[in-house]
Amino acid sequence: MSQATFDQLAGMRIAGVETGVQFAERMEAHVASGFGPVPVAASLAGLLPSGGLERGYIYGCTGDASLSLLFALLATPTTLGSWCALVNMPNAGLMSAHEHGVALQRMVCVAAPSSSQVLSLALGALVDGIDLVAVSAPACSPADARRIATRAKAQGAVVFVLGNPGDFVIDASFHASTTHWQFTTHAHGRMVDISASGRRVYAHRSCTVQLPGLS
Amino acid sequence: MHGAITGSVMSRSIAVVFPHWMQHHGVLGEEHAFRRFEHVVRAVTALSPLVEVQEIGTMVMAARGPSRYFGGDTAVAQLLHQVCIDARTESVFGVGIAGSRFAAMGAAHMAVSREQPCVIDAAITDAFIAALPVASLCRVGGISVDTVDLFERLGLRTCGATLAVGESALIDRFGIEGQRVYHLVSGGEVRHLAPGAPPSDFARTVEFDFPLAHASHVASAARDTIDEMVDAITGHGQQCVRLLITCHTDHAETTSRIWGEPRGFTAGVVAQRLLYQLDGWLTDSAADPDAPTSGVVRVEFVPLESREVLVTQPLLWGGSQENTERAARAAAMAMAVNDAVQVTVPRWEGGRDVATVYSRVPLSLVDITNPDASEQRVLTGDGVARHWTGSVPSPSPASIAPTPPLIHVVTALGVEVGVTGRHELNAVPSQVHVGNQQYQVLRVAGPWPLEERWWDPRRARRQVRMQLLVRHAKRGVGVFLVGLEHQQWTLLARYD
Repeated sequence: MSQATFDQLAGMRIAGVETGVQFAERMEAHVASGFGPVPVAASLAGLLPSGGLERGYIYGCTGDASLSLLFALLATPTTLGSWCALVNMPNAGLMSAHEHGVALQRMVCVAAPSSSQVLSLALGALVDGIDLVAVSAPACSPADARRIATRAKAQGAVVFVLGNPGDFVIDASFHASTTHWQFTTHAHGRMVDISASGRRVYAHRSCTVQLPGLS
Repeated sequence: MHGAITGSVMSRSIAVVFPHWMQHHGVLGEEHAFRRFEHVVRAVTALSPLVEVQEIGTMVMAARGPSRYFGGDTAVAQLLHQVCIDARTESVFGVGIAGSRFAAMGAAHMAVSREQPCVIDAAITDAFIAALPVASLCRVGGISVDTVDLFERLGLRTCGATLAVGESALIDRFGIEGQRVYHLVSGGEVRHLAPGAPPSDFARTVEFDFPLAHASHVASAARDTIDEMVDAITGHGQQCVRLLITCHTDHAETTSRIWGEPRGFTAGVVAQRLLYQLDGWLTDSAADPDAPTSGVVRVEFVPLESREVLVTQPLLWGGSQENTERAARAAAMAMAVNDAVQVTVPRWEGGRDVATVYSRVPLSLVDITNPDASEQRVLTGDGVARHWTGSVPSPSPASIAPTPPLIHVVTALGVEVGVTGRHELNAVPSQVHVGNQQYQVLRVAGPWPLEERWWDPRRARRQVRMQLLVRHAKRGVGVFLVGLEHQQWTLLARYD
């Protein structure tokens, strides 16, 4: 094939066929539009297929280090200007969140009664304007859970569900378990094994990180 | 450049809005919602051929033609109302007619709650616009949240009050956006496409060698032209926000539609809209007498309105104020759901107790939209020092019990561990009992004494804290922060 023919072919578009270059261009435009994946700390990017949290997804967090993992995931986006909401998490240690790098000036804490309807309405209102919404063991009806998921998708919010997800359909789930504690004169830090799985994660992904200590 | 792509005739407009369309039909995603909406749009097209779909759930069209044909505004409004009922959308809607697009949208939103069409006579359109709240500029007029918020803070609560500021003052302070605000509130917007208006420099036409009978074929065949047009507009630092798409068949049948996209059209969005427009038109030809009898041979794209790219740039990362305003609104909305919903924000309090080092203050007491004040709130609070000697060393526990449960810290012989007057343990802890769970103690750190307000006998506090590395038979290894106060151990926090 002559070089000229090759060049001609390279620029050609075939209906229904997307080349790697075109995909890369599309991805770049997607990211530049501000609706692309939400960036996370580099050491956690390997857990996510696109290297960031996908807008409109519902992520589950489980395991003995689930709160620390949540803080680690929130750190980069809140530093870059996103807001986060912690719903029904009176136990969240804000000092720990700060040590993990979360920008507390862009955090709101919400306490809503666990009655399904009030909680659902509050969550729906929050995903309308807050980029990252974390909720602990929500007791929403299946219809409400679906409605919240739709609103999150329409508004480009990321939802984290800690503990029992109830009727929420989880797109990707993180399991964080401590493998080792560095404990000398006091508890210094720990190694945490994080694995990602779920219907939107098309291969088993895992990594081992030190928490806190990502940023 | 700015005025180059607009029509020049201002006329009475009809607006049909479905304010909750996305909530009702968005369950399966935006595409599904658009396809559902297309059915309604096509029903409306039977009354007025050139419909503008501004965003999902919102249609605007010129009132003049249909109104003459059907015998008056009220008759058209009733007809449209009936069409929307017949469409069986299960979603609430409103039909409004008024002297400008903006007023018509306002009337349509008003019609939603009244469940009947709302027709505003030409004589009272100005008074109607003047009474609209300034927030409708953002909701139906496409003015940014920031600007509208500023108007509210300036005490300009209605469009009438904003109009009274005057055009020159608005332009002086807000530039192009101020001019758009003035056009909206004065009822003199110039956005309707004049019939037969000359195509702008960016208009593109694509012709096919043979008729294409499938919407997806047309969309992919037109893709290069769309790309070229969007690139040309972007090259001028602009983005198209309203676009007229006209398709012609071999038998001279046409479909025209104006599409709006407040975030600006990208090539992908244009192709998608073209697909929606053609999909309904081309496919159910058996059912529809107006359906085309041949394939599409020509597609025309005419950008009707463009804006500087920066004006409607969607929320970019980087701490934009709009992000903050949006968050503040969402938090306020969540609080408005029910009295039982409490929204708080963190404030630095300092001190040696990990549970009270940050307090949570009610949202109503602080202004979270001021970034400097927010940063100061979480860094120094009321000017409290950042570092306190004698606190439990970092890292801090991630999970702090709001009401610490009572526990037992015992030696290997089952005797409760205590501390001496010098804050030293009097025995070696071996086990922790939390409820009916047993944890084996592996390592101990501390104890760290906490003496607060020892000079005040009523508020004085003596507590000893220590960290325990524990192992549970099933849950594995963990770290606890436990405290001893009044000879009672409590589980203050866990390093979750």
